[in-house]
Parts: sequence; structure tokens; C-alpha cells
Amino acid sequence: MIEIAHLTKRYGSTTVLDDVSFTAAPGRVTGFLGPNGAGKSTTMRVLCGLATASSGTATVAGRRLRDVPNPGRTVGVLLDASAQHAGRSGREVLTLSARLMGLAPGRVAACLDLVGLTAAEADARTRTYSLGMRQRLGLAHALLGEPDALVLDEPANGLDPAGIRWMRDLLRAYADGGGTVLLSSHLLREVEAVADDLVLIGRGRVLAHGTTADLLSAPGTEVRSLDDGALAGALIAAGHDVRPLDDGGLSTSASAEAVGRHALDARVVLLDLRPARSAGLEDLFFTLTAGSAREEVAA
Amino acid sequence: MSAATLTPPGTAAPARAGVPWTRLVGVELRKQVDTRAGRWLLALVVLVDVALVALYLWAADEAPGWSALTEASSAGQLLLLPLIGVLAATSEWSQRTALTTFALEPRRTRVHGAKAAAGIVLALGITVATLAVAAVATLVGGALHDGAGSWSLDGALLGGLALALVLLVLQGLGFGLALLSTPAAIVAYLALPTVWSLVSALVPALRDPADWLDMSGPLTGLMSGSLTGDGWAQLGTSTLLWVGVPLAVGLWRTARRDVA
Ligand SMILES: Nc1ncnc2c1ncn2[C@@H]1O[C@H](COP(=O)(O)OP(=O)(O)OP(=O)(O)O)[C@@H](O)[C@H]1O
Ligand SMILES: [Mg+2]
Repeated sequence: MIEIAHLTKRYGSTTVLDDVSFTAAPGRVTGFLGPNGAGKSTTMRVLCGLATASSGTATVAGRRLRDVPNPGRTVGVLLDASAQHAGRSGREVLTLSARLMGLAPGRVAACLDLVGLTAAEADARTRTYSLGMRQRLGLAHALLGEPDALVLDEPANGLDPAGIRWMRDLLRAYADGGGTVLLSSHLLREVEAVADDLVLIGRGRVLAHGTTADLLSAPGTEVRSLDDGALAGALIAAGHDVRPLDDGGLSTSASAEAVGRHALDARVVLLDLRPARSAGLEDLFFTLTAGSAREEVAA
Repeated sequence: MSAATLTPPGTAAPARAGVPWTRLVGVELRKQVDTRAGRWLLALVVLVDVALVALYLWAADEAPGWSALTEASSAGQLLLLPLIGVLAATSEWSQRTALTTFALEPRRTRVHGAKAAAGIVLALGITVATLAVAAVATLVGGALHDGAGSWSLDGALLGGLALALVLLVLQGLGFGLALLSTPAAIVAYLALPTVWSLVSALVPALRDPADWLDMSGPLTGLMSGSLTGDGWAQLGTSTLLWVGVPLAVGLWRTARRDVA
């Protein structure tokens, strides 16, 4: 369990994180979203003990990572795939960390295999790596110590389509095995596909936090009938919001049962009655971050 | 993806012992020799040693002794051993591997202690290599000059060499940690003591205190095993300034600094 509680971080007079609180639960993938500069990486760096918070705490299983012995066995971290010594081979990078953590000798080869780096690639110096290869090496590094939690900052960045799908499956399997995953990304479709929970952050403040299902489900109903005009009149008279849909039919705040009763009373024949379509993560993202986005985006 | 390697959490070793310091030293030692830059530096130190010993041998009128030949290489070590410390400190930040290193061992001062120990181990290795080079040179000198050079090697010389290399590595580490930039640290440890000597030579009032704050004099004495009582005291005060201060500043600066 990753717990961020009232985290505030200031650089001089600028407040980068402002009372950020959320949790990432075991067995679940938590997507961490926000515009550029929102504070995602900063939150993760504080969590990993690499930056000091001005106030508040960031803990894993109730302990600050700085107080955890051999923290690589508790949390696997990928903060920046390009932060590797250019003169070391990928295998050497992993070997150093495996030794430090005291892992069995076979672990390095197993992780290289897991992320799909070939032996020849693993023996090349990282200065020759493509972005996606660096990202794969970073993932291998995060998984190396068989940790209870993963903290991944934009891990899908640079991965090819097969790599993205592979990572989605990997994170799913890892969480299903009881692991905690905190994952930041700008690839909203990917996050929507894999995240059980979402945290949205903008300008250092949490904008929304909840399960993906709750956040993306839109309240209300969509209905089609032989006389939409009469039905709309009845719903409005009863105090419900009604809006015509682009492709015919109505969208309303009323429940399916309420729509059915009003249709019965007004003797209107229903053709189609269903829960409103989910808004989609992209819509949610733009709606919530409208105030903190860098560009004007027509939502 | 193979299921065997993606171990579900919780099945890993239940007892989470900390990272033993010796293991940390081992890893830091490996980091200092697993890159071309690191290996070139070590090779350079040994090459300079060989060159200096050869030069001394060439200039000698009679067969030189083992200890004289060993001493001949100390000027190179004075210049180059701190580089081992500098690179150990700065490469983590210039290559941004500090992000990984301190996520795996958040006790940063402990990591820096391990870097110092690893640097000292390397410097010891270099000293052994120097002794070997000097021994070969002693044999060659004997053959060249008809008459074997002395094989006596006193404890003061060996002890002095060992202490000097510890101080030099720590000095480099201190400057590296304090400045976190390889060129800046190299310029600083080479130039600052020299500038200090120049200034004190120009300003008569500084001449007396200068002896107490100039490290190269007592260090050279230490490396030749000829340090006297006053020399030891001067070594102590100058070490405090040129090793102690940068090390303290560097450890303090890096202990809580944000890693990005
Ligand atoms: N060392 C620093 N000094 C001053 N400001 C900083 C520092 N590090 C980060 N910031 C600021 O903190 C804010 C948050 O940065 P952060 O890297 O956490 O954003 P992010 O959410 O990860 O963005 P991105 O999506 O672009 O990766 C930014 O406005 C950045 O300018
Ligand atoms: Mg970021």
C-alpha cells in the first residue's frame, strides 16, 4: 500500500505540491495523471526518498522508504529511463543493483528475458540504446528485486505497440498477484485500459481520486422513443435535465425507472433505454484539468 | 512473459535485512572499474608511475634502491589519486545514476563511505603495482649499473604511502561531493592549494601560517617516510583544511539534496 498524506513541496516560493493525499492499494493499478508540470514526478521522487517534502508524508506499507532496509526489495522504481551510466551495458546496470540487493545470480538474466532484451542488446552499452530499449531496461530494473510495489513514471513512453500491450498485461498480472502499482502516464487510453483507480492532479493539487469505473461512469440515461418531444416535455416538467443527442434520442439525468414511468404516463412508446455512455478518460481529463492545462483545449 | 519470473509479491524473502556495508563497498568498487573511464584512469595512474620510475632510473648515476624508486613515483600519485575519489563522487550525479543508487540505499552518507573505502582499496592496488614496478626497476638498475640497489624498504615509507593515498582519495571525494562536477573538482583540488602557495609567497605576513595550511609539503614528506614532529602537525592542520573541509561540505550538501 502506497500512502501519500498531505504532501506539500516548495521550491523557494513556488509550491509544486499542495497538500496532496491519495492511496494506491495492493492488488490494484493506480493511474496517476495530470498535465506537464503537475507534480507527478515530484510526488514519486518524494515517495522514493530522493526529494524531501516541505511537509506531509509518503509511505509504503506504513514506512517512509528512507527507513526501509534494502528498499529495492519493497519498491521497484522507474523514474527516468535515461538516467543510466552511458558507459555501462544494460546487463552491468542490472548486475550492480542485483548485487546491492543481494539477489540470486540468475535474477538478472531472468529480468532481461522478461522485458525482451536480447543477450546482444544487454551486452551493449546503454549509450547505444533506443528510447524503448531504455524503457525496457528500466522496467527490468524495477522488477529486479521482486518488490511488493511498483512506482513507474511514464513507463510506456517510447514503447512500441507490442511493448505497450505487453506492459499492460505485465502490470495486470503483477497487481492480480497482490502487488501495488502506481503508474503515471500521458497515454490516456493505456491508463484507461489498465488502471483500477485514478488520481488526477493539476498544479500540485489532487483534482479527482477514485475508481476508474466511478470516475468514468456518467449518471443518467439515454432514451429513444417514437415521440421524443412529448417524452422530453414530461421529463422536464418532472424536473429532470434533458438534452437531445446528436444522433437522435435524448440524454437525461433521470433514472431508467423514472424515464419508463414518465413514458407510460405520457403513452410514448420507448425504442431504446440504457445507462448514459461513459464520458471517457480523455473527456474527464480535459474537464478536470481545464483550469490547470497549458493549452486551450476544446473539450 | 513467463510466469516463473514474475513472482507474486509477498513470496520474496520475508526477512528484509539491510544492505551490509561490505556489500555496498563491493558494488562501489565494481562501479569504479566497470566503465572505460574508470579503467583508463587506473591505467593512467600506473603508466605515470612507470614513466616516473623509468625517468628516475635513467637519471641515476648508480643502481638506485627499491625505496628510492618507489618514492620517485609519488609525484604522479599526488596528482592522480584524488581523481579516483572525484570520479566516484561526480559520475553518480553527471550520469544521473544517483537516482538508482539512492533509491536502493537511501542512507547517502553510508554510500559515500563505501565509495571512500572502494577508492582506498583501488589506491592500495595501485601502490602494490607501484612497488612491483619499482622492484622490476631495481633489478634493471642493478643490471645497468653493475651492482645491486638496496632492497631495504622501511615501514615509515610504506606506512606513509598508505596514509597518503587514503588522504588523497578522501580529498578527491570531498572536492567531488562538494562541487558535484568533474572539471570543477579537478580544477579546484589542483589549483586551490597552488594558488594558496602563490598568495602566501607574495604576502610575507602569510608565510608563517602558510606552512600550516600547505598540504603538498608534508604530504611529500609522508610519502618518503621522512616526516618529523612539526611535519606531522602541519600534515594534520593542512589535511583538516584541504580534506576535512571539502569532505564535510560535500557530505552535508549531498545528504539531503534533491536527486533529479
Ligand atoms: N529542482 C526544481 N526546482 C524548481 N522547480 C522544480 C524543480 N523540480 C521540479 N520543479 C517544478 O515542479 C513542477 C512539477 O514538476 P514534475 O516534474 O513533478 O511534473 P510532472 O507532473 O512529472 O510533469 P510531466 O508530465 O511533464 O513529467 C514543475 O513546475 C517544475 O518546474
Ligand atoms: Mg514527470
